[in-house]
Amino acid sequence: MIRLKQFDWVIFSFLLLIMLIGVVAIYTASTTKTEQGFDVKNYYIKQIVWIFLSLIVLAVIQIIPKPIFEVLIIPSYLFSLILLGLVLLAPEINGSHRWIALKGFNLQPSELAKITTIMMLAKFIGKNNLQEYNILLRAILIISPPVFMILLEPDLGTSVIFFVIMLSMLAFSDLPFFYIILIASPVFSIITSFSIIIFIVYILILIFVLYKSKLSNIAIGFVVAINAFIAVLTPLIWNGLKTYQQNRILTFLDPMRDPFGAGYHIIQSKIAIGSGGITGKGWLLGTQKNLNFLPEHHTDFIFSVIGEEFGFLGCTFILTLYFLFLIQIAKSVSLLNHLEERYTVIGFLAYLTFQLYVNIGMNIGIVPATGIPLPFISYGGSSLLVNVISIAIILKYLNERSVFK
Amino acid sequence: MTKAQFDSKILIVVLLFVLLVILLALGNLQIIQGEKYGLIAEKNFVRIKSNSPVRGEIYDRNYKPIVLNKPSINLYILPGKIKDRNKVAKFVSEFFSVDFETIKKVIHQNRFRLYNEVLLVQDIDYETVVKAAEKFDRFPSLEFKTEQKREYSYPNHFTGYMGKISDKEYRNLKDKGYTINSSIGKSGLELYYEDLLRGEYGYEILQVDASGKSFEFFKHNLHQDAVDGADIILTIDNDLQNYITSIMPSSIPGAVVVMDVTTGEIIAYVSTPNYDQNIFSKTIPETVWNNLMNDPHNPMLDRVIHGSYPPGSVFKTIPALLGLEKGIIERDTKLISCDGGMQVGNRFFKCWLHSGHGRLDVIDAIKYSCDVFFYDLSMKFDLTDMEEFTKMNFLTKKTGIDLYGEREGFFPTTQWYVDNYGKYVNILGQKVNLAIGQGEILVTPLQVCSHYATIAANGVWRQPHLMKKIIKDNYEEKKYYQEQRLPSKSENIQIIQEALYETVNGSYGTGGAARVNGVKVYGKTGSAENHMGSTTHAWFAGYAAWEKPEIAFCVFLENGGHGGSAAAPIAKKFIQYYNSKRHSEEGK
Repeated sequence: MIRLKQFDWVIFSFLLLIMLIGVVAIYTASTTKTEQGFDVKNYYIKQIVWIFLSLIVLAVIQIIPKPIFEVLIIPSYLFSLILLGLVLLAPEINGSHRWIALKGFNLQPSELAKITTIMMLAKFIGKNNLQEYNILLRAILIISPPVFMILLEPDLGTSVIFFVIMLSMLAFSDLPFFYIILIASPVFSIITSFSIIIFIVYILILIFVLYKSKLSNIAIGFVVAINAFIAVLTPLIWNGLKTYQQNRILTFLDPMRDPFGAGYHIIQSKIAIGSGGITGKGWLLGTQKNLNFLPEHHTDFIFSVIGEEFGFLGCTFILTLYFLFLIQIAKSVSLLNHLEERYTVIGFLAYLTFQLYVNIGMNIGIVPATGIPLPFISYGGSSLLVNVISIAIILKYLNERSVFK
Repeated sequence: MTKAQFDSKILIVVLLFVLLVILLALGNLQIIQGEKYGLIAEKNFVRIKSNSPVRGEIYDRNYKPIVLNKPSINLYILPGKIKDRNKVAKFVSEFFSVDFETIKKVIHQNRFRLYNEVLLVQDIDYETVVKAAEKFDRFPSLEFKTEQKREYSYPNHFTGYMGKISDKEYRNLKDKGYTINSSIGKSGLELYYEDLLRGEYGYEILQVDASGKSFEFFKHNLHQDAVDGADIILTIDNDLQNYITSIMPSSIPGAVVVMDVTTGEIIAYVSTPNYDQNIFSKTIPETVWNNLMNDPHNPMLDRVIHGSYPPGSVFKTIPALLGLEKGIIERDTKLISCDGGMQVGNRFFKCWLHSGHGRLDVIDAIKYSCDVFFYDLSMKFDLTDMEEFTKMNFLTKKTGIDLYGEREGFFPTTQWYVDNYGKYVNILGQKVNLAIGQGEILVTPLQVCSHYATIAANGVWRQPHLMKKIIKDNYEEKKYYQEQRLPSKSENIQIIQEALYETVNGSYGTGGAARVNGVKVYGKTGSAENHMGSTTHAWFAGYAAWEKPEIAFCVFLENGGHGGSAAAPIAKKFIQYYNSKRHSEEGK
């Protein structure tokens, strides 16, 4: 049950503040300046309604007795897998199967799957005295079904999020460093395999790192062999792809190759943010925004509006606030008694931070373009709800922790 | 002791690192490069420009033009440069004689599209352009552009016309490259083959400042060339089409279809009265539009496929074939004697010939179009049999011609009668009436033509169509259409063929007016009573053979009188015309 004294009002207040900034940003993002005045669309009202709904869910989560809550983890994981299966059968929206259209809004099952997969993963690897191979096996078994189905949608960006979440959670587990490198290094091998020299440099660095980590020669040999194998395989697979498939991957990595699609959006976003300068153009007065260069600037490109109207100072203020919020969550990890709760919080933290980084990175053109919204700020009901649920769970764990260690 | 039991310092360090990366990138963008991006934003230097493809043209089967592109000077406005909305709207409406309120509305609707040109007036004549250009320094927001418009060689109902894209169409189709100023096919072939005719829009990315320096954001794929639309070769023969249009009675609406029996190609597709589609190349004056809309003969109605009518006696081939197929009658079977009518239940059904035909076999019954024979015949099969057989022969079923909105026609079922007339409806009486093509049955002239083409082809139905070939990049692509053998036996069809020949060529046959020297004309007349007027619809449908059957036709005149006297003579004329053209082409 909820203990108001121990409720973490700091995290809760940060959450409210950030969502409020979101409403303000959505208001201006969906406003167009006209000769007579301002033409406002009602997205911000819808967002306020969603915030209220989310807060009710947050309250309910605090009240649910803990045993019931824990029993629900496995069924909700399975439920989100079913939804991910169903979405593949749903009609295509914008060329992929990501959404289930319900009355009034589009449900994105991969959003829910993120939360349930994190909790499932925490439940199964958050145990003391697990064998190394056992941790790895469990992690891979839990993460593979959702990742596989999300790749089928296809939604490469979201699959990458799952991968990053798993790596960050494993990084804090008993799993030796060696395994983390084993999992992560092939990604770099794939990237570097296109140039022999760069690949050799990369392998030398890898060997050096592994050697410094005091790993056995056999382990080092194993990692290098795997990487070399992947580096040989990659060009073969790449050349086997059709030109349009190659182009799709290249465009994902470098949107500037696609001046009429993603590249155009990113350039317009950069122009908007860059033209905001130090102090910004002022609330409601973004010129790029008013020209409607970006189609959906109240969702994925909302940061471009913030950057344009509030400038570097405004961005710094909002980002500082945001990171204080995340740091507050990070601090809470060491307060928790149960290992699986700590993993859950680390998972949520990784998930929120990564989304924030990928979204802002896309807006300022340092990260490939993916359809990932800015948590708590972008317009969108189902993503807001899921993000608030993750905070609600953190608050619940903190609230119900035992004060005696 | 696991790593997760460490305190949170590692997490905080990672978070601070991420924050630092973002702030550095932001600082670079907003502080170091802020001025540059500010300038780009102000001057709006980076933009996508869309290039329109050239729309495909439409030609007849002999490559004579039907729809061509012609230059057209259009007036555009740039909402971002408007100084005084009312003044500019007033100037435009007065100078180019368009409605002031309409112009004001267009400007108001597009007030946010500061940098998009918005189409105001289409197809302005050259003199007005020269005069107006002198005054343009007062209105920097206005500009002329030379673009293309469609020119239709003759009024017709199959090519349809184009119009400015509607808001709804734009919302649904903008991914295909349409702009708010695009024209789009609104009806007929222009609509049906829109994607083919349109081609693909091209794009160009503009990233150059006023002094010509490129920002080089994008280095690759700066152009996506427009792909011009394909030219379409139709099955229509302009000469025959225009000849038939010229011989249609001026005061009676009607339709004529002529089809190639061996392919299903439509050689002529006439619906009268017609209208000039060229009026749609610019805003239509209200009076012209009102005249079109209020004309009692509805010139915009395509009577070939959008009108459905009771067929009258041209339908009699269906019950006759059904009787033969079911073995109810044979070639020589004579049914009840016609003495001017027949008592069915409590009602007396008249034959059109009040003095009566006596006892007839199927050939004479068709030849003289005796109603009583078919009344008697219809008593011997179910309504459902007749309904299914009619549909099987593609009457009261869509033919699938390459145009939208084709009417299906209608054939009532027992259930339909019960639903509409109550449980105690006299089905027998309705069935008798349907057997002579009267009552609730409705068909389109195209369906009738296609049915007679099937008889001519010994029972092979070929999908009627207008598109013959697509020409793209000098490469011709032939289209293939559905072909289907209908279940009737060919000996039974031959009996019908014989009857149709007798109708035109035998003494006292009802279709004598369509007889042509040197051509074997087969046909059936029809005079259908209807709700639209006191006079009957006149029908004449059949086919013409030289060495082999070549063309099938259907002539329909709305409340035009009797098939034999009103419709058959029209068929005679165009068969004669076709015959002489055929000879002159053979002579070459």
